[in-house]
Amino acid sequence: MKAIGLQIPAQAEYIDVARSCLYGVAVKLGFTFEDIEDMKVALSEACNNAVLHGGAEGQEVIDISFQPGDGVLVISVTNNGPSFLYETAKHDSLPLQGQDSSELRVGGLGIYLMEALMDEVSVQSLEGSTEVRLLKYKS
Amino acid sequence: MMKMVPFAIQQSEQDGVYTLKLSGELDLSVVPQLQKSLQHVLERTDVALSLHLGGLTYIDSTGIGIIVSILKARDAINAPFYVQEIPSSIRRLFDLTGLSGYLKEGTEAQG
Repeated sequence: MKAIGLQIPAQAEYIDVARSCLYGVAVKLGFTFEDIEDMKVALSEACNNAVLHGGAEGQEVIDISFQPGDGVLVISVTNNGPSFLYETAKHDSLPLQGQDSSELRVGGLGIYLMEALMDEVSVQSLEGSTEVRLLKYKS
Repeated sequence: MMKMVPFAIQQSEQDGVYTLKLSGELDLSVVPQLQKSLQHVLERTDVALSLHLGGLTYIDSTGIGIIVSILKARDAINAPFYVQEIPSSIRRLFDLTGLSGYLKEGTEAQG
């Protein structure tokens, strides 16, 4: 199967379209239901970051590409806008912890989930754009 | 086949329990809608707040973030909050993020 590209506006209401497209690609490649669910969440979190931390809402786009390899799918999510301090965010990215609910943080779980659900996550921040690469092996 | 169910909230109040039934995909795009529905009940101490998740087909970190914020708000005023009917794919994310350890589940809502 060849690579497939998708461009969506960098707005929250289009992220479900990216999930639908991923579903189609992953089913065609023979990924299990559970792996597809994992990738759906990870792709959405990458898109969330692009929407929340990208450029001015309404004008920017998110470029998504699905690159199938031998027993593997690489999903690349690129957006324009200020580069995202991924390494810093990753360092702060932890599951919920605290003695009781008053100590819990709201938010900050997106990158943690991407890392937990994919086999590899890498981020390249260039001037004016950020690319998140999500890799999943077929189980 | 994957079904695209639009996000919906059903609200009801009976016998001291205020219930929000969520269905469809809870993601960043519907966070404002859910926050608006919660506004008038979050601070109420005269009812237990019960969140039914049985109809949810998807949740992302912003949806999980809302549940964390409900939990914090209800605990802060010592008011009951329960979650019911967690679908298995969503429970997996609750477990991964550590949220499961803080939730009160199921029929305890009647207690």
